[in-house]
Amino acid sequence: MRENLGYEKEIVTIILYTSCFLMVVAVFLVVFFYFSRKKIIQKELEKRDLEIYLNKEQLHAVIITQEDERKRIAQDLHDDISSKLNIVSLNAHLLSAPNLTEAETKEITENIINLTAKALENSRKIAHNLLPPVFEKFGLNAGIEELCEEFESSKSVNVNYTNELDLDDKDIDRHLHVFRILQELMNNSLRHGKATQIWIAFKNVNGINTCNYEDNGVGFDSKKADNQKGLGMKNIDSRISFLNGTINFTAEIGSGFAVVFTF
Amino acid sequence: MDDFLIYFGYFILVINVGLYSYSFFRKEKANVFLLLYLVFSLLVQFGMEFLYHLKMNNLVLMNFYFLEQMVLLGLFYRSLYQQVVQKKFVLIALGLALLILISRLVYDPSLQFKFNLFQITITSLLTVVFALIHFYNMLTENKQYYYLTIGVIGYMFGGTVLFLLGNLTIGLSDDFKYLSWRLNAFLFIVYHFFILFEWVKSFSKKGVKV
Repeated sequence: MRENLGYEKEIVTIILYTSCFLMVVAVFLVVFFYFSRKKIIQKELEKRDLEIYLNKEQLHAVIITQEDERKRIAQDLHDDISSKLNIVSLNAHLLSAPNLTEAETKEITENIINLTAKALENSRKIAHNLLPPVFEKFGLNAGIEELCEEFESSKSVNVNYTNELDLDDKDIDRHLHVFRILQELMNNSLRHGKATQIWIAFKNVNGINTCNYEDNGVGFDSKKADNQKGLGMKNIDSRISFLNGTINFTAEIGSGFAVVFTF
Repeated sequence: MDDFLIYFGYFILVINVGLYSYSFFRKEKANVFLLLYLVFSLLVQFGMEFLYHLKMNNLVLMNFYFLEQMVLLGLFYRSLYQQVVQKKFVLIALGLALLILISRLVYDPSLQFKFNLFQITITSLLTVVFALIHFYNMLTENKQYYYLTIGVIGYMFGGTVLFLLGNLTIGLSDDFKYLSWRLNAFLFIVYHFFILFEWVKSFSKKGVKV
């Protein structure tokens, strides 16, 4: 009888401890889930804030680029066209002066003709820089060929361009982005990289249009934060995101700069 | 069959101790408390085996094993935590638990020769809580000792209930007596497979730790 009672007591204790153990663990699990949910939601919010911040940043970059571009155009207009037209107008006034000899009239007219020709040439250049007519008329391939020629003729750099893609002229809006990216990259290679060789290749990799760009310039330390997101790079990034593409930079000091992007 | 389960468990334990000490001493990557835990587990297992063959009561060692498991796993998880509050919590909880358990043993020394239910419950609970806190920390961070923690929680749930029932099984007939221990040996093997898997995932690869 006594032994039996002890045994029963034992069973009850065991049941009590077991249920206590399970209950406390259950409580802890519930608390765990509660806090986990909270943490995940908070993380999600942080992510969204970051996204908004990045969007703002991008918008900022767009505005700044726009302003810079305006400034550049204004300067070009002022320096190359307005100044020349000023002198033309002065000369025209001189023409209307009385008692001019034949030789003077001839000299002034020649001046005017020269200056207007220069102003015309300059305005053509400015328009060309803004949107190359070859690109608009004959598409990306021709546009890049012309760009390469321009770089080779004026800036002592050797450009190798190959194209294995069949580019559709209907995509001209998208191609403009590609054109601008290459323009920016080439400018960077010259200005910052002091490159003497540039390779550009369009390829079709697994059905995706891919562009390999490479130069032999001084390169830069891609791990340094200042180098990662200059205004130009931001511009390229947002163009790539317009194209739903991807972009990969590899750069090291002394071994040039390479970019692969898809569009 | 029983012997096979038990010795296979020892076998995996020995492998784990070997692998983790290799990682610790050669590459200095594995956690020191984890290695200590594994080494102590091995020592306790062999001690229990030894006492069993001498026909002595080896439950003293088992109770010691629970204490050691709580303390070393607690310190192991404490070293993984980043927040000061969590680190403090581990120390305070361990201190309190040890104080209560040791004072109970001093008050009634006979407790250590049977299944000390209170001790088993407290130590297992705290170990599960430490593991859960680690899970919570891992939610948004990189996975670190993920599989090991799964193993710890799984084994604590199954093993604890079996140990709590331990005193009951003594009164059962021989046919059923060993059923729960067979189950425990099996759980032990699963647990150490998780630890082994953790080593494969985290330490076997050369290069950076995941």
